[in-house]
Amino acid sequence: MELQTLSIADRLASPDAEVRRLAVIDLPYSDEDDIVPLLLPRLQDSDATVRTEAVRALEGYEDAEVVEALAPMLLDPDAEVRTAVGLVLSELKESASAAPLIPFLSGHSAEVRMLALRAVRALRVDAAFAPAMDALKDADAGVRREAVGVLGYLRRAEAIGALAEIAARDPDHEVRRIAIGAIGYSSEVSVLPALTRALSDVSWMVRDEAAQTLGKLRLGLAIPELMRAMQDDYWQVRVKAARSLGLLKATAALPSLMEALAHPIGNLRKEAAIALGEIADPRAIPALEKALDDADPDVRKLSRLALTAISLAQK
Amino acid sequence: MKRIDLEFDLVVIGGGTGGPMAAVKAKEKNPKLRVLLIDKANVKRSGAISMGMDGLNNAVIPGHATPEQYVKEITIANDGIVDQEAVMAYAANSFDMINELDRWGVKFEKDETGDYAVRKVHHLGSYVLPMPEGHHMKKILYRQLKKARVEVTNRVVVTRVLTGANGEVAAVMGFDCRTADIYVIRTRAAVISTGAAGRIGLPASGYLMGTYENPTNCGDGHAMAYHAGASLANLECFQINPLIKDYNGPACAYVTGPFGGFTANSKGERFIECDYWSGQMMMEFHNELEGGNGPVFLKLDHLAEETIQEIETILHTNERPSRGRFHEKRGNDYRSQMVEMHISEIGFCSGHSASGIHINARGETSVPGLYAAGDCASVPHNYMLGAFVYGRICGENAAEYCAERPLVDYDAGAAAAEEARILAPLGRTDGLTPFQIEYKTRRLVNDYLQPPKITRKYEIALRRFDEIREDTACMMAGNPHELMRAMEAHSIIDCAEMAARASLFRTESRWGLYHYYVDHPERDDDNWFCHTLLSKGADGRMTLAKKAIEPYVVPIDEEERTAYQRLRVARSAEAA
Amino acid sequence: MTLAATPTQVPVQVDNDKCIAEKGCTVCVDVCPLDVLAIDMLTRKAFMKFDECWYCLPCETDCPTGAVSVSIPYLLR
Ligand SMILES: Cc1cc2nc3c(=O)[nH]c(=O)nc-3n(C[C@H](O)[C@H](O)[C@H](O)COP(=O)(O)OP(=O)(O)OC[C@H]3O[C@@H](n4cnc5c(N)ncnc54)[C@H](O)[C@@H]3O)c2cc1C
Ligand code: SF4
Ligand code: SF4
Repeated sequence: MELQTLSIADRLASPDAEVRRLAVIDLPYSDEDDIVPLLLPRLQDSDATVRTEAVRALEGYEDAEVVEALAPMLLDPDAEVRTAVGLVLSELKESASAAPLIPFLSGHSAEVRMLALRAVRALRVDAAFAPAMDALKDADAGVRREAVGVLGYLRRAEAIGALAEIAARDPDHEVRRIAIGAIGYSSEVSVLPALTRALSDVSWMVRDEAAQTLGKLRLGLAIPELMRAMQDDYWQVRVKAARSLGLLKATAALPSLMEALAHPIGNLRKEAAIALGEIADPRAIPALEKALDDADPDVRKLSRLALTAISLAQK
Repeated sequence: MKRIDLEFDLVVIGGGTGGPMAAVKAKEKNPKLRVLLIDKANVKRSGAISMGMDGLNNAVIPGHATPEQYVKEITIANDGIVDQEAVMAYAANSFDMINELDRWGVKFEKDETGDYAVRKVHHLGSYVLPMPEGHHMKKILYRQLKKARVEVTNRVVVTRVLTGANGEVAAVMGFDCRTADIYVIRTRAAVISTGAAGRIGLPASGYLMGTYENPTNCGDGHAMAYHAGASLANLECFQINPLIKDYNGPACAYVTGPFGGFTANSKGERFIECDYWSGQMMMEFHNELEGGNGPVFLKLDHLAEETIQEIETILHTNERPSRGRFHEKRGNDYRSQMVEMHISEIGFCSGHSASGIHINARGETSVPGLYAAGDCASVPHNYMLGAFVYGRICGENAAEYCAERPLVDYDAGAAAAEEARILAPLGRTDGLTPFQIEYKTRRLVNDYLQPPKITRKYEIALRRFDEIREDTACMMAGNPHELMRAMEAHSIIDCAEMAARASLFRTESRWGLYHYYVDHPERDDDNWFCHTLLSKGADGRMTLAKKAIEPYVVPIDEEERTAYQRLRVARSAEAA
Repeated sequence: MTLAATPTQVPVQVDNDKCIAEKGCTVCVDVCPLDVLAIDMLTRKAFMKFDECWYCLPCETDCPTGAVSVSIPYLLR
C-alpha cells in the first residue's frame, strides 16, 4: 500500500489530519529513536484529534521542553486535549518539572486549577505549598480535593492545622475523607483531636478513613475512641477499628473484639480474630476456641492462626 | 523467502513481561551492547500482560512483609521443593522493582500521603498491591525499550538456540510469520522469556485458543531450551487453574476472596478454606467436581451491591476485559446467581506453579550463555513481579557474561537442518494441517495426562505422541501464518512428551492435584524430597535425574510444613 | 488427499465505514498477539483472516475509530 511506503516524517506532515493522527499513533512504536522532536510540532496542530494523540504519545517523556510545551495546553480550547494534557502531566515524576505548572495552580478555570494541582502532587515541591494552602479555600470542591492531596504528599507539619480544619468543616464529605487520609503522615499528638472528631463524622466513609488512619499512625492514645468505633452503625467502620486496635495491640479492647467475634457480619469476625492474634492475650483463648466452630471457614482458619500466635507469645 | 543473517551481543527471546525488562537492564548495565528483543507477536501488546494486570499478587513490601516470611510461605506452598536462594533473590529485589516500575509510570494504588496501599490477602508473607490503571503496562515497557535503544523485531518466531563447540550459546534461529524469511542471529548470549507452555492441553470447551495463557505461549521456549541441551525442572508439577466454565478468565475467588466471595459447591456451600491457588486447593476442587457435589461455583450473590460493583470494575477492565461480555451473553449476574466454574487445561507455568527451564538465583540455565526468566523458568510462584525481577537479574548477568565472551561459531550442520525443518511444511502441497496435528495432540493430552495420573494411561499417551511425531513428517503449511502454527505444533508435542515423562519419573504424589499419581498416592519424602531434572540424553532422548534440594536459607519447622494439608472444610462445621 | 474449505463465522467484525486502513492504519493488525487480522488489499479494510481468537480485545481497544468489535466465539457463548 502506497501509504505504508511513506516515511513517518512525511505522514506527520500530510495535509490529511487523519493521516497525521495515525502517524502520531504509530510513532512511539516506529524505528524512530528520538520521537520528541517529531511530536513537539504536532502539539500545535490545527486539528484537535492530532493534538490529543501527540499529547498522549509524549507521556513519560519528562524533558523540560516537553513539560514547558504541555503546561500551557491546559488552556487548549478543546476539552479532550485538556483532559489528555491533565492525564499526561499527572504522570510527571521529577521535581524539576514543577516550575512550568506553578502559574496554573491559581487563576484560570476550576478545571485547570484542579488538573495542575493533581500534576504537582507527586512532585512534592515547596513551591506548590502556598498555592495548595490557598486552594483549600477554593469554592470548587474538586479543587479543594486536589489541594488536600498535594498537602498530604508534601507531609509538612505546618499543614496539619489546616487539614484538620478541612477534615472537620468542609461541606463536601469526599474532601473531608481525603483530608483525614492526608493527615496520615504525622504521628504528632496534635492530629488526635481531628481524627477522633472524624470518628463521629456524619459520613461513614469519613469515619472509616479515620479508623484506618489511627491504626496506620499507631496512635495509642486513640484506643478508647477506637473502642467506641467498634459500636459504629456501619460494620465497615468496625472492621477498620478492629484492624487498628490489633495494630495498636490494644489489650483494653479485648472485650469489644471478643464480642465482635460473634457479630453476624463475617468480615468483622475475621478482622476481630486477626486482631486478637496480634494482641496475643491468653484471655481471648476461650472466645477464639469457640470461633473454631464458626460457620465461616475463614473465621475458623484465622482463629486457629490467632490461637497459635497466642501460644507462641507465651513461650 | 530469504535468509537473513544478523549479529548481536545479546538476544532476548520473548517481549512480554520479563523479556523487555531483561533487554532494558542489559543495556543499562552496558550501553555499548547490541541488544535485540524478538517477539513472535508485537511487543506493543504481547504476552500475558497484553491488556494489563489487576495488581501485583506477591508484593513483598517492607513494613508489611519480610523476604524471609515470603520465602517460608512459598516453601510451604510448594511442599518444600524449592531452591530457596532463588526465591529469596526474588523477594529481596521485589521492592526495588516496584519502586522502579513506579518511576517508569506504572500506577500502583496509593493512599492520600503517597504510601503504597497494600491490600492484605489473608495469607502470610505477601500482599496484593492493586494497579488501578494496569492496562498501560505495555506502553510503559515499550517506552523504556526505546529510551534504552533496544532493537525490537516483531513477528519473528524463534525456534532454536544453536550452540558452539563447547555447548555454549552461539546463535538463535527463527522465521518471520508473515514472509517465512529465515533468521540466523549470531549472539554471545540469549535470554529465553517466552512465557508459559499454555497450549499443551485442550480447554474443556474444545476451543483451541480458549486457553488460560495467551496462546502465543505454547512452549516454544521450553522446547528450544531442551534442544539446546538445558535442563528443565519439576515439569510434573503441572499448572491447573480454577476458571469460569467455558471462559478462560480466572474465576477469581482469588480476587474476590478479600471481598467475601468464595468457591462453593452446587448446594452453595463452601468446601475449601483457602482460595489461594495451590495444588491442594485444586485437589479439593477436583474432588468436589467429580464427587457428586459439582458443579462448582463462584459465589458472590451474598455480597452487598457496592462490593459487587467494585469487583466488577476490577474483573472486567484489565487482564480479561471480555469477561463482562461473556457474562452478559449468558445472562450471568453476580448479584443474583452463582457463576459456574471449571478446571483449566494443564500447562507448565512457574508463574502460578513451579515447573520450567531450570535456573539458579543468577538466572543461569545449564547451558553457558543461556538465561531464562518469567513463566518459562523454574522459580516458583513468580507471577508478574517475579518475571520483572528475574528479567532484570538475567539481563544484568547476561550483559556481564557477554563482555567476557567472544562470538563463537555455531554448528553449521545444525543450522542447515533447522532451516530445512522450518521450511519443510511450506514445501508440501498435500498432507495434514497444523490444526489437525495440534488438535489431536492436545486432545490426547486431555484424555491421558490430565490428573489423576495413571501409569497405564501415560504409557498409552507416549505411544500415541510417537505416532503423531511421525505424522508431522507430512504436515503442510499453505502460508507463513500456518507455518507458525506448524512449528508451534512441534513445540506442543515436545512439551506433551516432557509432561508425561517427568510425571512417570516421580513415583509419589505431591503438590495436590498437580502431581496426583494414582499408582503412588502418598507423598514420599524419603525418596522424593528432591527436584527432578529433564534433559536431552546422549542418545537424543529425554532423560530424567534427581537433584538434591539446595540447603535452605530460611528454616521451616514441622508445624508450618503441614499448614496446607487441611484445606477442606471440616464436615461437622459445614453442618453448622 | 484434498483439503476441505469449511466456513465458520468469525468472532471479530470490522465496520468498513469506520475503518481507515486506506489512510495508513494497521493498528489492529499490529496489536493482535495471534496475528489473525489482516488488511484486505482489494477493499483496503481490516478483516479477520484466521479463526484463532483469544478474545483479548487490544484490536478493539486500540482501533482509533472504534471500527472493531469482538464477540465471544460461538462455541463458548
Ligand atoms: C489471565 C492472566 C491473569 C494474570 N493475573 C495476574 C495478576 O493479577 N497479578 C500477577 O502478578 N500476575 C498475574 N498473571 C501472571 C503474570 O502475568 C505472568 O506471570 C507474567 O506476565 C509472565 O511474564 P513472562 O515474561 O514470563 O511471559 P509473557 O509476558 O507471557 O511473555 C512471553 C512472550 O514471549 C513471546 N513468545 C513466545 N514464544 C515465542 C517464540 N517462539 N519466539 C518469539 N517470541 C515468543 C510471546 O509472544 C510473549 O510476548 C496472570 C496471568 C494470566 C495469563
Ligand atoms: S485499527 Fe481500526 S481503523 Fe485501523 S485498520 Fe484496524 S479496523 Fe481499520
Ligand atoms: S481479540 Fe485478541 S486475538 Fe482476537 S483478533 Fe482481537 S487482538 Fe486478535
